[in-house]
Amino acid sequence: MVFLSLSRWIRSRGPDRYWRVQEVLKHARHFRGRKNRCFRLAVRSVRRAFVFATKARKAKKRIMRTLWISRIAAATREHGMKYPALIHNLLKCQVALNRKVLSDLAITEPRTFKSLASLAKRRREEGFLVALGDKGEPEGIFSRIVHSQ
Amino acid sequence: MTSRGTPSRFLKSVLQNGVGRYVCQLKRLSLVFSKDSANSLGVREFIEDGVVDFARQNPGIVVYVAPEKCSIPKIVAEYLNGTVKEEPVNRKTSEEIRQLIKKLSDQSGLEVIRIRKPFHTDSPSIQGQWHPFVNRSPSLRVQRFVKEKSELESS
Repeated sequence: MVFLSLSRWIRSRGPDRYWRVQEVLKHARHFRGRKNRCFRLAVRSVRRAFVFATKARKAKKRIMRTLWISRIAAATREHGMKYPALIHNLLKCQVALNRKVLSDLAITEPRTFKSLASLAKRRREEGFLVALGDKGEPEGIFSRIVHSQ
Repeated sequence: MTSRGTPSRFLKSVLQNGVGRYVCQLKRLSLVFSKDSANSLGVREFIEDGVVDFARQNPGIVVYVAPEKCSIPKIVAEYLNGTVKEEPVNRKTSEEIRQLIKKLSDQSGLEVIRIRKPFHTDSPSIQGQWHPFVNRSPSLRVQRFVKEKSELESS
């Protein structure tokens, strides 16, 4: 007996399933558990990971800003002031340093930050003098506004 | 394409290249192409026109021209820090190959992956980095010892 139709039953399915699977698994290699090995679980986890990464790009900006603010607040409290007072008075003195730079100064340049805090404190006191004192009092030197040309 | 899942590195230069003399980081360029097939036409044209001028202008780069039987022509660039970069130049024009080679010669051998920060310093702090005792008074470091009078009287 010769089996002629046996060879017709062998099909060649798609030849590149391996590479299509590896494309997904390569993004899951650092995951925990079976989802770093098994394709069916990895597909779901990789999709979720990409979605989280997309959403986190907006959230990262918010997170970094709150981190900077908490660091600046801690540093100003060491010098006897509070964060809102520092920011408002630096703004009034036309010191246009953003929160990122202020937090970096607080970490790497503590003396510069101390001088900024004392500048803000002095400006605050001058503001109180102007508000509470009589109108005959001259304005303090730190309250003068420099107009750029 | 997550930040943890893909490789990343910090900004750096190879041995502070450029602070003193600038050394071209590309050391070897091999043009692998086939003599007859149509996809190496651009490479062959480039070898006719521009390879010799490029090699003369960049005496620090060794250019090898290797005609052999290959399915797709490629350019292999080796850098001083050991990285080897292979670029397929299948069906590219001579002008495109010229620009590609210029780009390869301008690169250093560092990997082209996400750079975490666009800045780098070796000395981030000038006044000394903050530690919890920076803004505390130095009297915390002083310890006073009081002599007990009973000991004096006994001795």
